[in-house]
Amino acid sequence: MPSITSPQTSSGKAVAATSGVSMRHSRRRRRLYTVENPKKSVTLTVVTGLFTLYCLLPLGWLVINATKSQSDFVSSFGLAPGHRFALWDNVVEVFRYQDGIFSRWLLNTLLYVVVGATVSTFLAALAGYALAKLRFSGKRVFLFVILGSIAVPGIALAIPQFLLFAKLGITNTPWAVLIPCFINPFGLYLMWVFTAEAVPTDLLEAAKVDGAGELRTFIQIALPMLAPASVTVLLFSFVSIWNNYFLPLIMLKDPNWYPLTIGLNEWNKLGSTAGDGALIQNLVITAALLTIVPLIIAFLTLQRYWRSGLSLGAVKG
Amino acid sequence: MGHPSRLDTSAAATTSTDPTEQPVPARERGRTPAGLAFIAPFGMLFALVYIVPILYAAYLSLFQQKLIGGNTFSGLANYRKLVQDAQFWDSVGRVFGFTLIQVPIMLILAVALALALDSRRLHGIRFMRVSIFLPYAVPAVVSTLMWGFLLGVKYGLFGSLDDALGVNLDPFAPNTTLISIGVMVTWAFTGFNMLIFYAVLKAVPHELYEAAALDGASEFQVVRRVKLPALRGSLVIAVIFSIIGTFQMFNEPQILPSMVANSGITTHYTPNLYAYNLAFTGSQQGYAAALALVMAAITIGVAYAVQIRGLRNAFDH
Amino acid sequence: MRLHRKARFLSAALVPMLVLAGCSGGTAGSDGKQVNLTVWSWDGTVEKSVPGFEAENPNIKVKVVNAGSSYDEYTALDNAIQAGSGVPDLAMFEYFAVPYFAIPGKLADLGKFGVDGLEKDYVRAAWNDVTVNGKVYGLPSDYGPSAMFYNEATLKKAGVNEPPATWDEYYEDAKKVHALGGNYYIAQDTGDLFFLLSLIWQAGGRPFKVNGTKVHIDFTDEGTTKAVAFWQKMLDEHLLNTKITAWSDDWNRALNDGTLASQIMGGWLTSTLPDRAPKAAGQFRVALMPQWTQGDKVGAENGGSAFGIPAAAKHKDAAYKFLEYFTHGAGLSPRVEAGAFVPVTPVLDSTDFQSKPSSYFGDQKVGAVLAQASNSVASGWQFPPFFEWARSIYGDLVSKFYTTGEGSLAGILEEWKQRMVKYGNEQGFTVD
Repeated sequence: MPSITSPQTSSGKAVAATSGVSMRHSRRRRRLYTVENPKKSVTLTVVTGLFTLYCLLPLGWLVINATKSQSDFVSSFGLAPGHRFALWDNVVEVFRYQDGIFSRWLLNTLLYVVVGATVSTFLAALAGYALAKLRFSGKRVFLFVILGSIAVPGIALAIPQFLLFAKLGITNTPWAVLIPCFINPFGLYLMWVFTAEAVPTDLLEAAKVDGAGELRTFIQIALPMLAPASVTVLLFSFVSIWNNYFLPLIMLKDPNWYPLTIGLNEWNKLGSTAGDGALIQNLVITAALLTIVPLIIAFLTLQRYWRSGLSLGAVKG
Repeated sequence: MGHPSRLDTSAAATTSTDPTEQPVPARERGRTPAGLAFIAPFGMLFALVYIVPILYAAYLSLFQQKLIGGNTFSGLANYRKLVQDAQFWDSVGRVFGFTLIQVPIMLILAVALALALDSRRLHGIRFMRVSIFLPYAVPAVVSTLMWGFLLGVKYGLFGSLDDALGVNLDPFAPNTTLISIGVMVTWAFTGFNMLIFYAVLKAVPHELYEAAALDGASEFQVVRRVKLPALRGSLVIAVIFSIIGTFQMFNEPQILPSMVANSGITTHYTPNLYAYNLAFTGSQQGYAAALALVMAAITIGVAYAVQIRGLRNAFDH
Repeated sequence: MRLHRKARFLSAALVPMLVLAGCSGGTAGSDGKQVNLTVWSWDGTVEKSVPGFEAENPNIKVKVVNAGSSYDEYTALDNAIQAGSGVPDLAMFEYFAVPYFAIPGKLADLGKFGVDGLEKDYVRAAWNDVTVNGKVYGLPSDYGPSAMFYNEATLKKAGVNEPPATWDEYYEDAKKVHALGGNYYIAQDTGDLFFLLSLIWQAGGRPFKVNGTKVHIDFTDEGTTKAVAFWQKMLDEHLLNTKITAWSDDWNRALNDGTLASQIMGGWLTSTLPDRAPKAAGQFRVALMPQWTQGDKVGAENGGSAFGIPAAAKHKDAAYKFLEYFTHGAGLSPRVEAGAFVPVTPVLDSTDFQSKPSSYFGDQKVGAVLAQASNSVASGWQFPPFFEWARSIYGDLVSKFYTTGEGSLAGILEEWKQRMVKYGNEQGFTVD
């Protein structure tokens, strides 16, 4: 994976486009421009860069405004800095407001995200693998039922889901949030397609000839090859659970189990709905920035697993 | 594009290719019970979270709820009422139009970005990849705050732009709001789709590129002959997921009215918003359930049509 | 059963009532068993009463939970009632939501707790808000008498030295303010239903008449017509900012830079205005709403809430005990100190409350103005039991008029009425 191991990490330096620099950086002394390490295109960089700007501009607003006090926030232009650099004060206040409930929300979210994303990715890989590589009857029905179910607007299912969970006695507990998180139909499909493309059947056959059971074949042979897909699914689960809002809102009434999104919305609503609630936009924005940081870290940590090409090549070659 | 993933636990889903069309192993492996065992955990939880609530919703849709008088069995009355409900069809028309325009734009952007990143001809690949994906990680409540500033005509960036150009455009007038929502949705979900395509491209065996390079194939020929065909399966998935996502559009129209007044967003702006308002403020759970099921049927119909088309195209090549 | 410690401003005459209530109520905490109360509240001051209450009632533990604001909480409560589990012992309701829960029997009638004896200590209109078909379903916990918050500096700049005392003056002043420049307006309106209703309320209009499950809606009575015609004129002559919506970020900024000269809103704006318009410190003042007739002192209501006991609550006796404590008894002082504005007359009339200068409002004695505004709220207003739904669709009807000027307020209200009639009858009420 060149983006990790190769010289391209010196990103942003325009000089890197020249062959000389490229050569100097190249540890693998192969051809100058290869598939692995082609000539850089300035035009392409600029065009993609423009889109990146579109993506980052609102986030820039977030960063700038996280450094403002509430009074600067309502009285200064959005992209201009405030009179006082208040980022640190804001961060401290976020963790102190309402007896420090933010830390509790942060821990809850971490619990939901780590357990939810891991379990859902594993279940999706298990089922996706079975769909792609194992034969059993009812596959078609299974797929059709899932497609049909997902097309039902989730909003309208919230009340039946709530009533069902209430009957099971798990509303207002972490289970009410976790159990729906375990299901990631999108991840299932991704896993299914990936397994079909990335896991050679021959290899599985070979493992079975060697006497490995289905589960062992899956865990030892298929799972490592599914690393890029797993990481993608994990990341998507991670983010969607992190941003999960509607279901916890219905299921939870105890602020001690709230995830960040609910808490953040409650804080924001204090000032944005009619009434005498406290106006703490500075805390909402700083808290939002703080909640994005772990996601960035997760993304950066996970992205080094996108090396599927290598394992595939090893098998086919 | 998975809007539901922000409000629901799981991304929306669908099938990409018909299971029987899958590259099933050539040698019949026998109908092992392992297949069912692999699918069982996902299947059982899926039943709990989706199937049972859907059945319950179907049951509810046969009743009319009254604040005074309670529930009464009404047969198909809710469905008959829905067919004649101009507000419902107004919302369906809106999401259809939105889907027709926004989904192609977003997916073309996503594919182009994935190809650009995968070409390795960019500077700052890692930075851009993270940046483009980041918007997906921003909680809706915060992204609405950001866009409220960026598109605001009085104190926002758009207002400054208007002043500078001497024009008087309002992004949140009744006839422009949908465009602004498109900008917000594209911002939030392009990176999500880009990442899927990128992950698929990563799985393309490298020898294919090497071989193409040895044949003297140009970059564009490689894209056309190797990369785009590789993306086809995931593109079909992405199209269908995006259709489901836009059909279930909810967050943006739900949050915007608190920020801008008279943007033209009504309580029946999208089918999902309508279902929500019926079920939650209107105490018409049965009617909302009927709406959700009809909407699911419409979504499945459209998704199925697209899937057939997508598959046929796949076979043409 | 121990006696409550009396708040210093409560009359001794209450004592027998409270004792009675405690005895007839029976068992809460008296048999030594621990009772755990759950209270749903998005009013942060309720928490302040808990330590005092728990010290007096060692057998009752109170847990105050923010289960969402307004509509989110009503949804949650409906869900909990439907599921038959997780119903709180006390929940917060805006006044307009009380009939929605009371009429279908989801709230406990507080009559058996001896609540009637408390009536004389409450602002009359607030008591009316918690009374549905002659029965009391909650105790008022905070209040929103409509008042005028005006930016003295902006008005002076426009040549207005005295705040408008009548609506005619308000109209003339609006023209002067707008003459300062295109961005200057006397106020904003983007279809604020609660403001319009408070205007109608003050003008004597009573568009909703509720009797049991019968609802009569009429937006053509004399007071309603007068109020609607006046506001129509303000809009027709472009004297109001129709781009900025209240509670939005733009609104905060406009309050901050002085381009919005006044707000006619509930008294609770007092506590949040300093956060919203920190730069305008010292510029705002509070006055009674402008009057329809010179020299009158008629007010209206814009917001406020009460707490009630759900019919499905487990610990009603203990719940009432706490309810009385924090809305009427000794639990009031810490709440008032924390900024709660309560419609309890002994509090409003206390010299403490009336004579405290507020530095943000240029050392004006704001409490005295708001107390007067509370006591002058006109009585007899009613909300229909499906108001929560009605207000949600009101926004659908207004955008055409507010963005293009096509149509009229009266037309919107008529269409609104038609929708309510249809919906109300579908829901089993008799609406005309």
